[in-house]
Amino acid sequence: MTTRTTCGALAALLITSSVFTTAACADSMTMWVRASGTNAAAHLVDLWNSTHSDKIELTTIPDNQMVTKLATGVQAGEVPDLVSFDLIYMPDFMKAGFLTDLTADLKANPNFASVAEAYVDIATYEGKIYGAGFTPDVSILIWNKDLFKKAGLDPDKPPRTIGEIHEDAKKVHALGADTYGFYFSGSCPGCNIFTTSPMMVAAGSKILPANGSDDALTGDGVKQVLETFREMWTEGLVPKSAQADNGANFTALFKSAKIGIQGCGGFLISDLKHDVPDMNFGVTFLPGVKEGHVSAFVGGDVVAIPVGSKHVPLAKAFIAWELTDEAQLEGLAKNNILPSRPALADNKYFAADPRIVTTAKALGVGYVPWVYHFADMVNSDSSPWINMLQRAIFDGDVDGAITEARDKMKAIAGE
Amino acid sequence: MKRTRPSNQWQGWLYVSPALLFVGVFVLIPLFQLVAMSTTDRSLLGGGRFIGLGNYIKIWNDAGFWRALMFTIKYTIVLTPILMVLGFALALLTADNTPLKRLTRTIVFLPVVIGLSSSSLLWFWLFDEQVGLLNKLMTDLHVIAQPMVWFVSADLAFWAVVISITWKVLGFGMVLFIAGIQSIDREIMEAAVVDGAGYWTRVFRIILPLSRRIILLTTLVSAIGSMLAFDQFYIMTSGGPRGQTFTAVYWIYQNSFVSFKLGYGAALSIVLTVIILVFSTLQIALTARSQAR
Repeated sequence: MTTRTTCGALAALLITSSVFTTAACADSMTMWVRASGTNAAAHLVDLWNSTHSDKIELTTIPDNQMVTKLATGVQAGEVPDLVSFDLIYMPDFMKAGFLTDLTADLKANPNFASVAEAYVDIATYEGKIYGAGFTPDVSILIWNKDLFKKAGLDPDKPPRTIGEIHEDAKKVHALGADTYGFYFSGSCPGCNIFTTSPMMVAAGSKILPANGSDDALTGDGVKQVLETFREMWTEGLVPKSAQADNGANFTALFKSAKIGIQGCGGFLISDLKHDVPDMNFGVTFLPGVKEGHVSAFVGGDVVAIPVGSKHVPLAKAFIAWELTDEAQLEGLAKNNILPSRPALADNKYFAADPRIVTTAKALGVGYVPWVYHFADMVNSDSSPWINMLQRAIFDGDVDGAITEARDKMKAIAGE
Repeated sequence: MKRTRPSNQWQGWLYVSPALLFVGVFVLIPLFQLVAMSTTDRSLLGGGRFIGLGNYIKIWNDAGFWRALMFTIKYTIVLTPILMVLGFALALLTADNTPLKRLTRTIVFLPVVIGLSSSSLLWFWLFDEQVGLLNKLMTDLHVIAQPMVWFVSADLAFWAVVISITWKVLGFGMVLFIAGIQSIDREIMEAAVVDGAGYWTRVFRIILPLSRRIILLTTLVSAIGSMLAFDQFYIMTSGGPRGQTFTAVYWIYQNSFVSFKLGYGAALSIVLTVIILVFSTLQIALTARSQAR
């Protein structure tokens, strides 16, 4: 009897303690983030960790290893609970079945309705949603107001068409042989899809084919932009080093105050404010051929839950939280990072700098191509996209370059 | 004697078993998997079905691969003699164990311990048109009128990489050559001196012939390393301009991890392995024949 009572008491104690232990013990999630998104992601994760008992452990993965790591991870069943990656891989990952369906949760989330359309589009596959905008970036046009003033241009009037970029660039270059009107990284496919393709899109073109039967590089915008770039190149308005720049000097020359106008990402604003605080620069949308026609490339990271995540409900809670006003404003905007909900662009943190507001609003006019094999068509060092730019701009064969790239892109899309 | 042989055999197998296990697990099994993968259209994102020799037929028609392979062979043919001649010359100059020569050896060998990626990045910026010290040096010395854009031309980019790799790996060959030179019996050299042989006679008649094995080893290591070149081109040229500096391994990387075509990448790897194997065997056979003469 005594033994039985003791055993019973012990069992009760064990059960009670295990219940309390479970209740009191917070979970810990893992999250992978690509290196270039780490800074922004860390702000959100730190905020989450400081306000929640369940913690997130952030692991940085080199940008060019993310696809391999996630692919092998999913196939081996060793995945993080959350993953933040370049949004252009979303179609490939969704098709491969790597990601958890979040449709019901996101559609029930009132904040999701105000997420930039580009993020919703890129994360949708066969009617289901697999991710949400996380740490956005978007392309913009930036100009050096000091150089504009010296060149006799109105420093507060940015170029509103590609033609105006050309004209303004001529005047800036006239300031001196080592001052250039315009810059782009001629050997960087990623930089150019980010900054050059929106000008083509704004001019009415479509860049990438969604499948083998879809057309690539449609409309006159592609040719008009390439011809303008070619003219600026032959007139010496772009530094010679641009031809070999694989992105390593994407922003370096603008920071050295030798460049009048350049397409870049919103990230450059905080970089410039930090590195060259005295530089007087402006920010506007990337223009097309006609005034009022603008566009942008919506980039940055999406957040998703890999199939095999061990904390799916908690991971979903994090995604729901990162769309809240608190996370968007206190986690992102407070740190000069764009919110993924454009409606929050006018906030107290951005109010002091209208350039950031303009950048945030570019999310609303931006596009992101929903295509498979994006890396193959665009990001690869031997991609048809970069070959087209180089052949057209540096060799001058604009029509031949477009025709060749069009065929190659269609072939890749059809694979 | 006959009774102990089986037991000795088992002991022998026991001794080599760790090495066999290592080779089996880390070389043979992955190699078989690679061969198997090369017969599929497997993607990095999963899936894949058996397509027989489909990938190999595709390689035959892949102009990009053959161009990359030819570029790799050109790189190997140019770089290997440079490394051999300079390495051997430095070994001759520093083979004696005086403090100054030991210091020189250490300085020349130092870049070998730096990672290849780090050294490539270092040279990438040294060659930079805007901030590169090499351009600054050459313009100050009036060698060139204005800074050069090294990576805008395939030839200049090629030589930029050759210069960086020569700096990086020269010390390795030098150390091997020094080991070879120092292993030559002193009495032979002394006898040659007594017989009136001059410095260059000793180099060409004694040191070089007696260093043949080490020269073969160093040439093989250098040539195979050059055939597998990747990091330096990935970092310094990104395969450009216009894809003219893609190496064979870079092409494999592009296909496997950028285009996600793992099966095709595996087939390319097999082809490159076979090519390197054939070249290495030829090199060994030719050296053996010249030694026999």
